[in-house]
Amino acid sequence: MTIQTTIPQMATIRQVPGNIVSDMDGEKVMLNVQLGKYFNLGEIGGRVWELIGHPMTVETLVDSLTAEYAVDRDTCEAHVRSFLAQLSEQRLITVSAAGGPDERA
Amino acid sequence: NKEWTKPSLEVLEVKL
Repeated sequence: MTIQTTIPQMATIRQVPGNIVSDMDGEKVMLNVQLGKYFNLGEIGGRVWELIGHPMTVETLVDSLTAEYAVDRDTCEAHVRSFLAQLSEQRLITVSAAGGPDERA
Repeated sequence: NKEWTKPSLEVLEVKL
């Protein structure tokens, strides 16, 4: 059973450093040596990962993606928040509440 | 207008 974390729209998303990242046939793959885990983010997930190379809110992230892809905003936001929850569960990102300390490190 | 597909994270345990 997987517990999905809810990512607030105005939360700031940051990458957690320490992963070996590579592109493979257009998909972003990462290796966490400490955990012994290999991650495949896929093509769209890889683009999300690139965008959050600079800390940004979910809202800004969705703005960027809807400008780049043929997707409506509601669908994009729902998909992105679900994906970010997966990244958060694997400790690949930190999620900071707007103006507050990190919720997850 | 690049095609959108729902992003998903695939996780594999690896033996290093």
